[in-house]
Amino acid sequence: MIDIDSYAYSNHLKKIHPGEKLLFAMLTMAVCLTAPTVITPLIVLALMAGGIIFKAGIPARIFLKLMLVPLSFLLISVFTIAFSISTSPLGFWMAQTMNGLTVGIRYPDLITAVQLFLRSLGAVSCLYFLALTTPMTEIITVLHKLKVPVIITELMVLVYRFIFVFMETAITINNAQSSRLGYVSLKTSYRSLSRLFSALLGKVFVKSQELYNAMAARCYMGEIRVLSKKHPVSLRNYLLIAGLELPLILLNLLGRR
Amino acid sequence: MPEVILEAVDLDYFYPDNTNALRNINLQVKQGEKLTILGSNGAGKSTLFMQFNGLYHPTSGCIKYQGQAISYKNKALIELRKKVGIVFQDPDSQLFSSSVYQDISFGPLNLGLSEQEVEARVKQALIDTETTDLEYKPTHLLSYGQKKRVSIAGVLAMEPEVIIFDEPTAGLDPRHAREFMQLLKKLSDEGKTIIISTHDVDLAYSWSDRLVIMSRGEIIAHGEPSGLFLRPEVIERADLTLPWLLDMYCGLLEKGWLPPSTPVPKTKADLLLIIARVPKNIAKDS
Repeated sequence: MIDIDSYAYSNHLKKIHPGEKLLFAMLTMAVCLTAPTVITPLIVLALMAGGIIFKAGIPARIFLKLMLVPLSFLLISVFTIAFSISTSPLGFWMAQTMNGLTVGIRYPDLITAVQLFLRSLGAVSCLYFLALTTPMTEIITVLHKLKVPVIITELMVLVYRFIFVFMETAITINNAQSSRLGYVSLKTSYRSLSRLFSALLGKVFVKSQELYNAMAARCYMGEIRVLSKKHPVSLRNYLLIAGLELPLILLNLLGRR
Repeated sequence: MPEVILEAVDLDYFYPDNTNALRNINLQVKQGEKLTILGSNGAGKSTLFMQFNGLYHPTSGCIKYQGQAISYKNKALIELRKKVGIVFQDPDSQLFSSSVYQDISFGPLNLGLSEQEVEARVKQALIDTETTDLEYKPTHLLSYGQKKRVSIAGVLAMEPEVIIFDEPTAGLDPRHAREFMQLLKKLSDEGKTIIISTHDVDLAYSWSDRLVIMSRGEIIAHGEPSGLFLRPEVIERADLTLPWLLDMYCGLLEKGWLPPSTPVPKTKADLLLIIARVPKNIAKDS
């Protein structure tokens, strides 16, 4: 997760307007999820892989590793859809009958499973494109501009910031514990971990009070207002998005018939 | 006689758990002065700072800004905080946003300034604290010293009259500590009133116009740095040491290598000049 975050700030597409990247990722995801054939998800997958590896300059190894993350979940659900168990051996495309029970794959189920698999993978690649190229702070800014309620965007700002503050604290405590053999056996590990969490909880309260004081000192009046760095809006990028999405939508419509 | 800008009058403060954090504090801060508050850990420096911009209410006594006791009504507090800024010790509790740019813009936007004005101020604050190259970095990827400079920028952008720095050089490397001192000099030249707290006796001695020494919630002494540091009982009581410059000066006097009437040096250059002017015979005799 931390890797994804660091790439978001250092990739080649970081200067592109976050709104354009968000639009591209979300549109493509919608197109991919509504695709009636397997061709669209495959194109989406290729498009996003190309965007992430060649345009954003993220190493292919990292991208592949990230794509493997949802694979285990995906395979489990796909297998349960593809395989059926029945007492009648009729209608199976590939099956094995044992003691009157037939375990096997029906052809339409197989198609559904493959489609679902590719569609999910395609959608995941769209989300990765967004996560790897756009810093969280900028996504929040776009959401704010899209009139998402302030309470949500403000919470996102604070949560995102404090994930890192508390992780740093947790790592420091963990190092201090490990260096004194706090995780030498299962028993000590349980004890150390419980102490780490209770120490962290205490810190959360202290930090939140300190943060409030520091914000009040800067005239905080109940609403977090910040200025964001302006990104140039590029007509070319909008044309590019239209140029990529329209054929895909057309392909979907044709596939429906 | 410069005007008193900020003042604590008979200030007492108890924490909710009844710890007596401040006892009978009387302190006048003059417009444009460079004031250092020295004291060991837990002496009450940070607590006093929180009183100065109304974050804590005194248990008894009051804080006056430009001769008027401050009001704790929301509007009045905002007005006070526009004038009195605090840079907190731990940048991780001050930076609330992961974006350097957004965090610095928070204060000035709260002042109700226009976007262009805020943009200009953020830019200037970034330049003043040498953080322009950090603009696009998220705060969690910055080093401690970098975070510290960003948190300073966040307060500078509000352009307060009085700026309070809680342990500003703690955790900074020597180069950035030196640059920070130059920034302080610049702010001071612009007429800002600056209050810092520190353990660094050398910095306190050579930088400040006036020193306040605190111990266990009380002000035990205040006055000109050279006068204060030559009172060993005060230094001892506050768990401090002599600045190296004064230590050296006292050593030289003791050995008889400087005539007893030598003025107290304020800087290293002063001391070198004094040594260069010492009549040769004194040096030879001893």
